[in-house]
Amino acid sequence: MGKQIKQTALAIFVLLLPGFVFAQLNITGAVTDANNVPVSGASIRLRNTNTGTSSDQAGKFSLSIPGTSGTLEVSSIGFKPFSIEVSSTNAASLTIKLAEDVGRLEEVVVTGLATSVKRRNLANSVATISSKELSGVAPAQTFDAALNGKVPGAYINANSGAPGGGVSIKLRGVTSVFGNTQPLFVVDGVFIDNTATPANLNFVTAATAAGSAANQDNPSSRIADLRPEDIENIEILKGASAAAIYGSKAAAGVVLITTKRGKGGKTRVSLSQDLGTVRARKLLGVRQFTASTAADLGGSATSANPDVIAARAALQQQFTDAQAAGKLFDYEKELYGNKGFTRNTAVSLTGGNDKTSFFFSASNKDEEGIIEHTGYKNNSVRLNVDHRLTDNIKIGITTNYINSSADRSLTNNDNAGVSLGVALSSTPQFVDLHRAANGLFPDNPFAASNPLQTRDLMTNNESIDRFITGINLDAKLLEGGKSVTRLIARGGVDFYTLKTDAQFPSILQFQAVNKGTAIQGVTRNRNTNYLLSLVNNFNPSQNLGFTTSAGLTQETGNYENIIDAATQVVAGQTNVDQAGALTATDFRTKFQDDGLFIQEEASIIDAITLTAGVRLDKSTNNGDQDKYYTYPKAAVSWNLTHMGFWKGELFNNVKLRAAYGQAGNFPAYGSKFTAFPIFNIDGLPGSLVNIQRGTPDIKAERTSEFETGLDFSLFNSKLSFELTYYNKKIQDFLLLATVASSSGFASQWVNAGNLRNRGVELGMNAQPVSTKNIRWTSNTSFWMNRSKITKLTIPPVELGAFGTTLGTFRIEEGKSATQIIGIDGANGAVKLGDAEPKFQMSFFNEVTFMKNLSLRFLLHWKKGGDNVNLSELLNDLGSTSVDYDSDKDKNGVKDAQDRINSLGVTARPFIQEAGYLRLREIGLYYSFTKLPVSFIKGIRVGVSANNYWTKTKYKGYDPEVSNFGTGFSTNVEVMPYPASKRAAFHLSIDL
Amino acid sequence: MKNKFITYSSLLIALAFTMPACKKNIGNLNSPVLEDYSNPSAAQLNNLVTGIEAGMRINVGTYLDVTGMIGREMYRFSGAEPRYVQDLLGAGSSTLNNNTFYLTNPWASRYRVVKNCNVLIQGAANASALTPEDKKGFTGFGKTIKAYQLLLNLNFTYTNGIRVEVDDPDNLGPVLNYDESLAAIAQMLDDARTDLTGASISFPLSSGFAGFDDEAGLLQVNRALAARVAIYRQLWPAALTALSSSFLDLTGPLDKGVYHVFGTGLGDQLNGAYFPQNQNGEVRLAHPSFATDIAAGDDRLAKTTVRTASASSGGLTSNRDLWVYKSSLAPIPVIRNEELILIYAEAKIQTNVLPDAVVALNRIRTAHNLGAYSGAVTQAALLNEMLTQRRFSLFYEGHRWVDMRRYNRLNQLPLDRAGDDVWDKFPLPLTEN
Repeated sequence: MGKQIKQTALAIFVLLLPGFVFAQLNITGAVTDANNVPVSGASIRLRNTNTGTSSDQAGKFSLSIPGTSGTLEVSSIGFKPFSIEVSSTNAASLTIKLAEDVGRLEEVVVTGLATSVKRRNLANSVATISSKELSGVAPAQTFDAALNGKVPGAYINANSGAPGGGVSIKLRGVTSVFGNTQPLFVVDGVFIDNTATPANLNFVTAATAAGSAANQDNPSSRIADLRPEDIENIEILKGASAAAIYGSKAAAGVVLITTKRGKGGKTRVSLSQDLGTVRARKLLGVRQFTASTAADLGGSATSANPDVIAARAALQQQFTDAQAAGKLFDYEKELYGNKGFTRNTAVSLTGGNDKTSFFFSASNKDEEGIIEHTGYKNNSVRLNVDHRLTDNIKIGITTNYINSSADRSLTNNDNAGVSLGVALSSTPQFVDLHRAANGLFPDNPFAASNPLQTRDLMTNNESIDRFITGINLDAKLLEGGKSVTRLIARGGVDFYTLKTDAQFPSILQFQAVNKGTAIQGVTRNRNTNYLLSLVNNFNPSQNLGFTTSAGLTQETGNYENIIDAATQVVAGQTNVDQAGALTATDFRTKFQDDGLFIQEEASIIDAITLTAGVRLDKSTNNGDQDKYYTYPKAAVSWNLTHMGFWKGELFNNVKLRAAYGQAGNFPAYGSKFTAFPIFNIDGLPGSLVNIQRGTPDIKAERTSEFETGLDFSLFNSKLSFELTYYNKKIQDFLLLATVASSSGFASQWVNAGNLRNRGVELGMNAQPVSTKNIRWTSNTSFWMNRSKITKLTIPPVELGAFGTTLGTFRIEEGKSATQIIGIDGANGAVKLGDAEPKFQMSFFNEVTFMKNLSLRFLLHWKKGGDNVNLSELLNDLGSTSVDYDSDKDKNGVKDAQDRINSLGVTARPFIQEAGYLRLREIGLYYSFTKLPVSFIKGIRVGVSANNYWTKTKYKGYDPEVSNFGTGFSTNVEVMPYPASKRAAFHLSIDL
Repeated sequence: MKNKFITYSSLLIALAFTMPACKKNIGNLNSPVLEDYSNPSAAQLNNLVTGIEAGMRINVGTYLDVTGMIGREMYRFSGAEPRYVQDLLGAGSSTLNNNTFYLTNPWASRYRVVKNCNVLIQGAANASALTPEDKKGFTGFGKTIKAYQLLLNLNFTYTNGIRVEVDDPDNLGPVLNYDESLAAIAQMLDDARTDLTGASISFPLSSGFAGFDDEAGLLQVNRALAARVAIYRQLWPAALTALSSSFLDLTGPLDKGVYHVFGTGLGDQLNGAYFPQNQNGEVRLAHPSFATDIAAGDDRLAKTTVRTASASSGGLTSNRDLWVYKSSLAPIPVIRNEELILIYAEAKIQTNVLPDAVVALNRIRTAHNLGAYSGAVTQAALLNEMLTQRRFSLFYEGHRWVDMRRYNRLNQLPLDRAGDDVWDKFPLPLTEN
């Protein structure tokens, strides 16, 4: 009996225990700006804990904290952080007013591998892109395309309009000619692979047969697999001075992507749905024939050749028959005029308790392209978990699974007349290529292929299964009064399998020889990386702080691409073993890079920040794989307004800064070998020397960058400026030099010389209007870059396009690295253009009316910069260009004929200015905050348009184009997948 | 506390120095590399021989197109490649470019094979496990093919010359003029003959060498090529001497010889000079003069076929498809008996042994359904006849342009458009300057 009482008492005690021991304080409140406009998405966190939540669309939040009082820290991008003491007296209706921080001075920016600093003390110009800027205006086709116009110092170029994207990003000029020109992407500490893997369409197009050996398959960028909705922010370290601590992978800059984390508190559900359309941005138009111009296709009217006379008569008849039957077609519109439907659905959950918080998202995207049978699908699941093991040990785990699939059709250059654009270029309007009643397509008598047939019957699909996971451990090892030492360990894996599937059934007109081609490619790639570091914070006094970090890193990569190309395929079959002939290729690369680093940051009276660091790196790709390369860095920033002597209210922040750093770029895999690939005959295995000669002593190229700048803000941060100058020198740049072909080789990797990029970046952030009803924020950026080859140890090298007859790039001492040269009459090959823009500017504006209606737009101006436009030439040669018959210069010769006549004489007509002024993104959104049902916290609706308005003199499909994909030689157009414009309706609901 | 910190730090530092140290050397994961041939096995050298044979076919189609276009044998139209009908025919003010595919691709491919021959020759010299006879076999084969590949490039650049000594890529030999180059090629063939004599041929060759894949056969091939080089050098008695050790057979089959063969097997190639008939866009057509100039009844007219519709491009039109190679597996000759008979005729005419020449020419004529030669039996008339027979017998085999050049008759080739030119040679590729 006594025992029973005891047990009951114990049970009651246990039940009541939380009330006694874990006293809770329930807080409800709202976050607003200075004008009482609600701030949604603000983070509210109990100081030094994992307990926190975020504000809803009405700015409201509720949070329970243990104990009876505490300090809440409130932060939101674009506002100064704010902390407030809460207790039972103010917990019921807390009002938090955030002050604007237009210059984002209080934002924390990652500066080391494991350390960070506030922007107001930052020594570099680091571009930060928030999720709102990334995907909150008018979502671009892919996440990387969404960066365009938002990063001062970047030259971003969409390679084509094909679904799934494909974007080239160059930060502060070209950093390498044939090495990697793309920045390193790091997602939550995991180094992401961004290899563009071609589908080997060359097997069908023979695109490399007559010109550049570079890949012209129009592959997508692997970075496009990431979902913009999952991204919290992106930091862009534009050059070596900021990125030196990433060592030999950082020469082209580093893009640090942070995905969303759980915010704790009550579980929040967010649903969003986009519906939209995609259409060709511009069509070139087609030539309108007459009976006489149709006859001219057969040869000159004055020809006495009976073949010509007969051909002329037949063509004339064909035209008049077609005209009489009303069968004059616009094949360009039929091919590229599809109005694609786009759909994007995302759901996210976030929540947690004081120990553990999570962010979960699942999304599905399905977009059609402007060519029928093309499209892009992406499914993604993400789970990010943060857990506090003890008070001193935090673990963060990120996992992301992505499945995407892109159908990209057959575009770009080819030498077999099979890509849609090339076939289109010689197909006049009066031939009927449509599927006949018997279900068969007629052969195209004017080209090697019938583009309608190709479009409908072929397949060019790439599909990805990708898994990215990372772990981040932050453990406080020892804590003294003035010193804290932490172990930060980080690592991750990026693994994907890419399947490329290209099918050209035997019924296709151009499959007369191969009788059906199936190309199946499987790529398996695994990147791993880890970082182990110790970070010590030592604050001997209030005015002095030291952060010391040291550690080691390792990155490995293991890539294998197996392609089976089958011909003589059994009708209706796609499997490569259902074929009469099979060719297999297997390409593997592997590397391991090891690094050591140490960095010291000192902060004096919160005004002067000094940083010095060094990284040592070695790689199996170097000629000497055991040699460590040293990459130092040093930086200083001096915030004058934090000095005691600063007086006055006008300037609330003035900072001078300078930074220097070095970074490297390892040689490409295989640079050091003279290989003997397989060439067989009659079933005998043969080894034939490769056209690329190995360079056993190849070394990493080294970038040294000096950057200096002045940042200041006025009127209580309502207007802020950031002015930056940089000088970036690349020593021993890697070049795939052309060598005398009598040596048996065509090319060889060499450390060819030195290259320099200089430029300025100016940024202005302003809040011109800030009233209760209208809030307008405006960001204006201006940037320009000039490059120069300062030293070249080999003769000038022409590369990147199709030779001087048509315009190509030339690496030449004393000249711009991106100059475009071409033949020009008696002058020989001379400079006729430059791919580098004269400057770029962007204007991002957000105007919010009456708290809930917001208009955002991004205007991007690229001034100058030339392209090599060969689409027009092919249309001229195929006698189908829209202005074929006009004679603007009134010389009695048709304009198209003038252009053709200049072929072999001058390349001038093909090198065209490709500047543009483009309304990249515009969106109008309305947030409903007063909702009839309480379980819905907010609803947001919006409409947006992407690339809807462009002003350009460029005569091709779009000034943004690259026949050769990412890399050095963007800006060459040969019958691309035309660029598109997008419009969408958005709905998002927060529960 | 301090001790703990020291423990952690030293652990980390220890890791830093141990982990990178366990790295292995990652070699080339995809193929052999040059260093592998420093002391090669017979099997490795066999692979090089096959690589040479396979590599000889690369860009042969382009070679035939280029010589066929300039020699006005045919038209190559391409929807995506205007430079065939522009540059090669000299349309308007267009000229041959020194850095364009039509020159650089075939040129580089031939030197690539030369490089493989040099690796083979050096490898054979270094191979410790080979008998002297085996070494002679590899060396003789390597030199013969090397000479042939150099000759094809010399046909392109003619008096602009070629480099012959190209073994050391860092130290390439000089560009020799036309006569020096031919002499060097002839010498190389003679050296190869010395090597092949008494050699043991232990390596496998493709079916393109059927009947010639032993010591005697390779010697015959070597001499056949030597005969071609001799007539280029106008060394007529030497040509006859070489022919006498070749596989010349005045009564034998015309197509007896050595060929590039093609296949659909793994890593094999298809005949790049083949297109089906009646294609559009990408076509090879006979030059209109082929059908108008050929004698009535000549069965060689079947090397072209009438199209269902004529094809036009760049102001050029033809209604006949080229139909020399009738499938993607059709072999392309390196050298064959029909050419040897014509070389024999040419050397006999030039040495003024005209009756022998007429016999040889009649062997060709009757084989192609023509009556015996009835024209004047003079050197001049027979030279015309010989060139005519070469034109039709060796149609689209890469000879017409060279032949007309040898006899200073390029000005007799037809021009289709006002402003067209007949080029006599290519410039040296840009990379050679």
